[in-house]
Parts: sequence; structure tokens; C-alpha cells
Amino acid sequence: MNDVLAFARGPLFYGCLIFFLVAMAFRLFRVLALRWQVDRAKPKGNAAEGAVVSFLKALLIFPFFPGLKGLSQRSALVFFAGGIFHLSLFLVIFFTAAHTLVWQSLLGFRWDPIPTPIIDGFTAATILALIVLAINRATNPVLRLLSGPSSYLNLLFVLIPFLTGFIMYHRLIQPYIAVYAIHMLAVDWLLVWIPLSRIAHFMFYFFSRPAHGAEFARRNAVP
Amino acid sequence: MSGEEKIESALREFLERKRINRRDFLKGCGILAMVLGLSQVDGAAKVALALATKPRPPVIWLSLQDCTGCTESLTRSQSPQLLNLILSDLSLDYHETLQAAAGAGAEESRLATMRDYAGKYVLVVEGSPTPQDGGVYCALGGRSNIDVLKETAASAAAVVAVGNCACFGGIPGARQSPSGGVGVRDILGSGVVHIAGCPPIAEAITATFAHLLVFDRLPELDGLGRPLETYRNTIHDRCVRRTFYDSGQYAKNFDDQGAKQGYCLYLLGCKGPTTYNACPTLRWNGGVSYPIQSGHPCLGCSEPHFWDGGGFYAGQSAPLASPSGVITAVAIAAGAALGAGAILTGRAKNHTTSSHAAPPTSDPPNPEEKTP
Repeated sequence: MNDVLAFARGPLFYGCLIFFLVAMAFRLFRVLALRWQVDRAKPKGNAAEGAVVSFLKALLIFPFFPGLKGLSQRSALVFFAGGIFHLSLFLVIFFTAAHTLVWQSLLGFRWDPIPTPIIDGFTAATILALIVLAINRATNPVLRLLSGPSSYLNLLFVLIPFLTGFIMYHRLIQPYIAVYAIHMLAVDWLLVWIPLSRIAHFMFYFFSRPAHGAEFARRNAVP
Repeated sequence: MSGEEKIESALREFLERKRINRRDFLKGCGILAMVLGLSQVDGAAKVALALATKPRPPVIWLSLQDCTGCTESLTRSQSPQLLNLILSDLSLDYHETLQAAAGAGAEESRLATMRDYAGKYVLVVEGSPTPQDGGVYCALGGRSNIDVLKETAASAAAVVAVGNCACFGGIPGARQSPSGGVGVRDILGSGVVHIAGCPPIAEAITATFAHLLVFDRLPELDGLGRPLETYRNTIHDRCVRRTFYDSGQYAKNFDDQGAKQGYCLYLLGCKGPTTYNACPTLRWNGGVSYPIQSGHPCLGCSEPHFWDGGGFYAGQSAPLASPSGVITAVAIAAGAALGAGAILTGRAKNHTTSSHAAPPTSDPPNPEEKTP
């Protein structure tokens, strides 16, 4: 199992990360190269300002103020479960003590982790949110129509690293190294899966929001 | 004379012969019983009885590619006395560091033990064997280490690999090592007991012999051939700083406030969570301390290939291989070029196809164009 872990943390991780970088850049530049239509109309507002405002609103305002735009009323469950999931995902990936060491190894510097018991709570919240979202997807008639196997696989492939991480921290299953190896294999697979799936939205989101914001602002509409 | 009286008499006779204080003897038996997972009272009695009455196995201690650190660990700890009890005054019939004989005499001593105690002696291997280039990198008495190892193991009752080098190749087996050390199991196959560590805790070595003596069989082993008695738990499981890990209090530097407060050393590269050993319970220097307690993260020395397991201070969760800045930039540039290229090539193709597909027949004739 030690060899499997060393392989998953070493050459396999390396290969998957390279694939992730190449494939994500491929997808992004494939979209960017499509060019968007040149708007020859005289702008009624500042596009740059719209891009920034839209970006900040989407990142800092809408997720944290459920009443605005009636987001929570339309589908409270998706709003809250999805919101908790995304927030926890961000905190766990970037602020778990073990993960800060990964970032240090990749970037050359690290930041302070959030105390582990708090991260532990967020991990549990993520796992629960994923289960709730999966059940909702399977039972909601409209979502069921829109969902294919990959929609459920997305949830599953994200769930496995969280579940194994939770098991590792609480040492629920022994040997620890075996769970660690599964955790790393799941992460490696996720690096391959993300560019091939809709999970890649995490990258497009940061481009589409400012693009829409800029377009709206040119027409003097509030993004 | 009743059974109990017989035991008492045998014990007394043994202690007198060995000139050992009864209190020290029972204390040693208690320690061994604890390591063996026996109850303190019955277990100590069982160990004492075995020590007083059973004959000791002769030992051949082969030193291959090693630094003698494992022998140092054993001889400079408080346990030589315990080991003496088990091995009958360290009845090591062949130990290159400890034996008086040298040269051909030493080799003769090994052969004599093999001949006289065939099937009864224990072979202990310290240091890694090296089959590389015909085994020329380590020779004993002018013979390849592999030949000597195989020859000595052939009629041994048990083979015990002591230290990370003998168990898994250690430093001589680390990446780019020219001599290419391997573990003893790679030469002799499974069945070899691994007392892992760099060096192993003396009591872990002693306890294995004690187990052999008390129960007449080898201890139960984990998946890597290590006795479960001493290698059942990780360092992290029994760590003195565990509560700090659980509450998320970490030393971020070797001289920060956290380090002074004795916080968890995880962020400083501690490998405790993935390292199976008994350091936090048996400890070193007669139970005084162990690395983490003394302020240094665990290096994971009882695990295979720990020299190649990432930097000692890089962290247990850090990837063992990650792309450099240049490779990352090349990967992103390649992806970007492929992505943009796919669209631009497609557009150019469409353009060409559409210009072929729509012949200029529909265009109105140019009146200025001259026909030949």
C-alpha cells in the first residue's frame, strides 16, 4: 500500500496535474478563440466597471444575501445546499492544514490554516450537502430530465476525496495509509475528470461573470 | 518440591548465576511483558520463567551495507541488560562489531555456529544486501554479501532484519544510490521479520527475541513484516502532541511561540500520521523522550523508502513530485495553443470550404472585366 500511496502522491499526481493544466487551458482558449461579436453601438455605460461590479456581486453579495433577487425563494434547497457546498469546498481545499502543505509544495509559499476542528465541520457540511444535492437531483422531475450519468458522477467524484479526508482525520478506518492512498487516487482522478466535465465551470465562472457584466454595463443595465 | 517452588528455585539460581538484582530482573520482565502485550503480573511471570529456564538461541549478526547505528542503538540503550538476559550474555556467535575474532577466525566462527546449531540459530541482518553488479559492493571475507546471506539463512531457525536498510534498502537503496541496496526479503523471500527504524528502538529488537523465547514462535507481523506488538499504531495515534493536532494548534516555525508551547509539528513536516512505530510509548534513552517530544518532527524512519518520501520538512501531505514553474507554463501554453489552434484551424477550414462550396456563378458579372 505504501507503494500505491507513493505512486499516487508522486508520478501519478504529477501526470494528472499536467493533464489538468493542459486540458483546462485547452478548454479556456478554445472558448476565448471563438471571439465575441464586436458591438458597434455607442456604449451607454462603462463596460470595465460593469465587469468588476458583476464579478464582485457574484462572489461576495449574491451568495451571502439569500433574499436578493429572490434566489433563495426559487429553490431554497439548491441555494443553501449548493452555497454551503461551494463555501466549504473553497475553505477545505485552501485552508486545511494538510492542504496548505500541498500549496506550499506547488507554489513555494503557504498561508495559515484554519483550525482543524472548524475545517472538520465544513467537511461534514460538504458531505451532507453533496448527498442532499444528489437526492434532489434524483427526485426533482425537472432536474431528473436534465441529468445524465455524468451529473451524478460529478457529485460522486467530488464526494470521494471529502469522505476519505474525513475518515483520515477521524481515523475511522485502518490502516490510515490505505485510506490516504484512496484519497490521493481520488484526487488524481478528479484532476483528470474536471476538465472533461461540467466541474470546469469553476474556471469559466470567473470569465463569464465579468463578460456578462461588461455587456450589460454597455447597455446601461445593472448586471 | 511443588511446581511453584521449582520455578522459584530456578529463578533464584538463574539470578545468582547472572548476578542480577531481583528487582531489576522483574522490572525488565515487566517491560518485556508490556511490549509483548501481556498483562503486567502474569506476563512478567511468564517472561521471567522463560528467561530462567529456557535455553537461549545462538545468534549470527550479519552486517551488510550499514552504519552500525542499529548495533549502537542496542548497545548504548538501557536494554543490553535485557538483551543479555534473552541472548545469554549476548551469545552472539558472530557479530562483526562486537566479536573478538577477526579475519578468517571470524568467518570460521560463523561456519562453526551454522554447523553446530543448524536449524536452531537466529540470523540477524543489519544493513542492506546489494545484488548490484554481482554483489561486489559489499563483501564478507572476500565473498559476495548475497552468497554469505543466502548461505547463512539456509539453516537458520529465523531471520530478523534489523533497521530500515535491512528491511527496505534504507539509504543504500535510496534513489541514485550506486550500490542499489534492497531489503532482505528481496533476497530471501517473505518470512523475514522486520524490526524497522533508523535505528529501531532497542526494546523493539529485544521484544522480538523475547517473543521467540517465551512463545517459541515468531510474533504476529503486519503487512510489511513488522511485529504488531511494536508497530501496531502510528506515531500520531499515541503522540504527546496529538491534542494540539486535534485542536488545530500548530508550530509554524522551529522557534516560534507555537514551538515553545509544544504545539503539533505537522506543518513542519511531521510524518507521524503515516509512520507505524512505538516511539511515543517505548521512547528512547530509557523511556526519556522521543523526537517529537524533543521538538523535532517524525521523519518516518520505520517506513519503506523514507529517504525518498519527500523532504523531511516538506510535510506528510505534500506531493512527492510536482511540476516546476517552467513546466507549468509550458503545459498551460501548450493547452492554450491547442485550444486556440483547434478553433482557428476549424474556422480557416470552414472559410476554405465555404469559398469552394459557393462558386462565383451567382455573382453578377463584372462589366469591367475583360474576357480574353
